Amino acid sequence: MTRTLYAETVLGQSLFQKISNCRVLMIGAGGIGCELLKNLAMSGFRQIELVDLDTIDISNLNRQFLFQKQHIRKSKAEVARESALKFNPNINIIAHHANIKNPRFNVEWFKSFDIVMNALDNLDARRHVNMMCLVANVPLIESGTEGYLGQVTVIKKDETECYDCQPKPVRKTYPVCTIRSTPSQPIHCIVWAKSYLFSQLFGLPDEEDDERLEAEMTQENVNEIENLKKETQALKQIREAMGTADYPQKVFRKVFTDDIKRLLSMEDMWQNRRNPPVPLIYEDIEKLVTEGNSQLNYTENSNTLKDQRVWSLAENFVVFLDSVRRLSEKLIKQKTNNPDASLSFDKDDPDALDFVTATSNLRSIIFGIEVKSQFKVKEMAGNIIPAIATTNAIIAGMIVMQSFKVLNEKLNECKTIFLDGSRRPQIFLSESLNPPNPECRICNNTHIILKINTKKATLRDFLDKVIHGRDEDDIGEVIVEEGGRIIYDVEYDDNLDATFEQLQITDGKLVSVKPDDDTEEQNSSIFAISHREFEKPNTWFQVDGKPFAARNKIPVAKSSDNSTSSTHKRKLEESELDTFEGSSRKRPATNEEILVDDDDTIVTESGTQKLIVID
Amino acid sequence: MSNGILTSRLMEERKQWRKDHPYGFYARPQKNDDGTLNICIWNVGIPGIKGTPWENGIYKLSMLFPQEYPAKPPKCKFTPPLFHPNVYPSGTVCLSILNEEEGWKPGITIKQIVLGIQQLLNEPNPQSPAQAEAYELFRRDKVAYEQRVRQQARENAMT
Repeated sequence: MTRTLYAETVLGQSLFQKISNCRVLMIGAGGIGCELLKNLAMSGFRQIELVDLDTIDISNLNRQFLFQKQHIRKSKAEVARESALKFNPNINIIAHHANIKNPRFNVEWFKSFDIVMNALDNLDARRHVNMMCLVANVPLIESGTEGYLGQVTVIKKDETECYDCQPKPVRKTYPVCTIRSTPSQPIHCIVWAKSYLFSQLFGLPDEEDDERLEAEMTQENVNEIENLKKETQALKQIREAMGTADYPQKVFRKVFTDDIKRLLSMEDMWQNRRNPPVPLIYEDIEKLVTEGNSQLNYTENSNTLKDQRVWSLAENFVVFLDSVRRLSEKLIKQKTNNPDASLSFDKDDPDALDFVTATSNLRSIIFGIEVKSQFKVKEMAGNIIPAIATTNAIIAGMIVMQSFKVLNEKLNECKTIFLDGSRRPQIFLSESLNPPNPECRICNNTHIILKINTKKATLRDFLDKVIHGRDEDDIGEVIVEEGGRIIYDVEYDDNLDATFEQLQITDGKLVSVKPDDDTEEQNSSIFAISHREFEKPNTWFQVDGKPFAARNKIPVAKSSDNSTSSTHKRKLEESELDTFEGSSRKRPATNEEILVDDDDTIVTESGTQKLIVID
Repeated sequence: MSNGILTSRLMEERKQWRKDHPYGFYARPQKNDDGTLNICIWNVGIPGIKGTPWENGIYKLSMLFPQEYPAKPPKCKFTPPLFHPNVYPSGTVCLSILNEEEGWKPGITIKQIVLGIQQLLNEPNPQSPAQAEAYELFRRDKVAYEQRVRQQARENAMT
């Protein structure tokens, strides 16, 4: 009896064969990834490639069970491979300790897989893999967890929504106005403490920060903004006092007294707000402290719950002064070795966390905002998302279940599955897959592999031969873009004679070409660059596919019926309606959706009886 | 590869701007060292409205598009910083349509933003002052404020 007997029996011979022959790529060997690799190794998958750029941290060990204490600081991908091979040595796992965005993982490499599984933890990498799978036309199983919530879905080019078809909620940032002048929630004060004051006092002078740039502006523009000059000067002076005994006190007076008074002087600002800020007076609090506030036992208190208790004004005051002193000493020490040294906020650094807790709480007191415990501040400042092993395990199981359907070519049976572990007894919710969003700017494009000699071919060659070189329906003017750079458009032709290599458009890069005509057409062609030196002389290109083939055609998939995948849907536009004027047939209502079939027949979605033939 | 939604939207914005933009304005992506254009940083010129103390000036502004654009608004920053009650000392503009918690919507175009900022020049919002100097003068001494604005217009005169 072999170890795969049960799997073979349960899954059936045909599916089991597919599973053992298929090449699977999994990206991420963290919370979901460890569970997923175990599942794959135990359910008959034999060809697995695994990519993860991360190394093992002690905080991973409670749930990423392929890792143990002796693996700390080693590659996640490699250790996961070793651990999985121990319980199933008969399979082939290739581990890459690398970033999936590395150009060596190009479209052709993606194409070599039958299925891709994401076990990622960030939007950027998910978007990248989504794009690569679209270009390579490989099915992708996407997943994610957060606390008790989890989600799995299947993405297939032209048939389902892609990862970017629906807008993603963005992590909240806060407007400068709110952070600098009018905080109203604890998080506003925490962001101010962590991102503004911390970097102002201990950070890099050229870090991306609004007010930091003021220094440069003043030099360029000495006559302007006297106020600005005063402010930077005051801050500079204070920073110069770092290391002296009264440095913490100076900082305190500046940010909690003087700056607040100045804010208050802008009376209009406080007319329509509930609580104008109340400046803190150093001497008053100092008096509180010296008079022996009974609660003030910060330094000697080794009580483990200290960080869960909300500190008093006096405690925050003492911790603020003390943490400024500690951080200053740390920075000065670092500067003896490196004059350009600076500190950055790290939630696991007790000094930095003390500073942010005390600073944000003092600011909260000034603005009449609720004060938070250090534990809570750490969670909010560090953007800590709880990770739960059970959620990951369930989701990893669901990924494999979905992969069986994909391998069986039953995409119509795949589902988007939502898990809510707190919603008992029914913790799962499943939905049919949606067809691609016709408005999506990512998947509603033509994806082409461009084999090109990047050392020889110039931008002009590309435009002449690949874009305009086709006789029928020339595309007209285009915009060429790569990695957030405009390479060419009708107003910008400086780069025409540069080679692809000179333009840093090298193997593995994706170039987008967008028609620049008057239509509202969104469709672009995405060229995946694959460097090739051709044997044939003067040959610099080979194009697999037709650029702009999908123009005006937006594919639609019906999860219930795959045979409609060659049918395209679009809204009937006013101008097109005119062509029906002569027809004796009933003219469709303007807002009615029309299906355009491949053989140029038009079928209204509501019924097949109204068949209209163009021409 | 950078965020495809961001780049495709900004390419569309550039296309639309070229086809139709308000008179006297300019807006173009900044040039990179490698000779390409950086789609995430635009250099913009906003003319003062005729008949206001801001007229005849063209005010230079940088528009910085974050990776989350268009879910998040671009950061608009006058370079050099402008004397104006709603402009931070750093030059950053404080305007409701540029605030993701208030008026920002992903559908707002670059054209609408620059027109909004042009409007703001002569119609400051005293409810959200961003710099003390211009704010104080605007509130206490309208005549002196206007003089200062006219002076600034001359310094930023169109050439």
